[in-house]
Amino acid sequence: MILGRVVGQVWATRRDPRLARTKLLVVRPHGFYEPPLGTRHLVATDEVHAGIGDEVVVCLGKPARESLGSNDTPVDAAILGVVDRVDLDEERLSPAGAAPGIRRPLAAAVVSAGRR
Amino acid sequence: MLLGRVVGRLWAARQAESLGGRKLLLVRPETASGESARLVVAVDGLDAGPGDRVIVAHGSRVRDLTVGPEVADKDVVIGIVDGSELAR
Repeated sequence: MILGRVVGQVWATRRDPRLARTKLLVVRPHGFYEPPLGTRHLVATDEVHAGIGDEVVVCLGKPARESLGSNDTPVDAAILGVVDRVDLDEERLSPAGAAPGIRRPLAAAVVSAGRR
Repeated sequence: MLLGRVVGRLWAARQAESLGGRKLLLVRPETASGESARLVVAVDGLDAGPGDRVIVAHGSRVRDLTVGPEVADKDVVIGIVDGSELAR
């Protein structure tokens, strides 16, 4: 799962019919995950009524589809929760090699999220 | 999913049977600071054209559900954007 902040919303009248009632939000992930192709953000479905500025957790792939009720919706990312608080032990964070895709330190971004 | 703009259409006279004459679009993903340099070749699941902003989903399951399991491309256009609100 990915921790990030909702930075926008998109509307699409013409879309796959299985997405007809799905809200689509734009999420900017915090440091430890980099979206493909250098896009810096991703579009995710929202079933938890998140809003712009909220800190959220996003999951990718099959669990994202299943959060919409079945594996039969053609999406690859879904917001699964709105974050109230994050506790981080900065000394234990190792941005250099903790997981694939870690490029930037996330402490500063996430600590501000925790104070919201 | 990613947000991008269709910058062109791709034709290939000689192509694998698995592409089956599908309409292929060149999509330039958007970044916060402008646009990224890397293009994606996506299958058109709707009827998008150059200039449209689109939502592209990735994965074999997405491909199976939209354009069919026989297509050899895992990036599919699933929405054509007509409005957005972005706090940069």
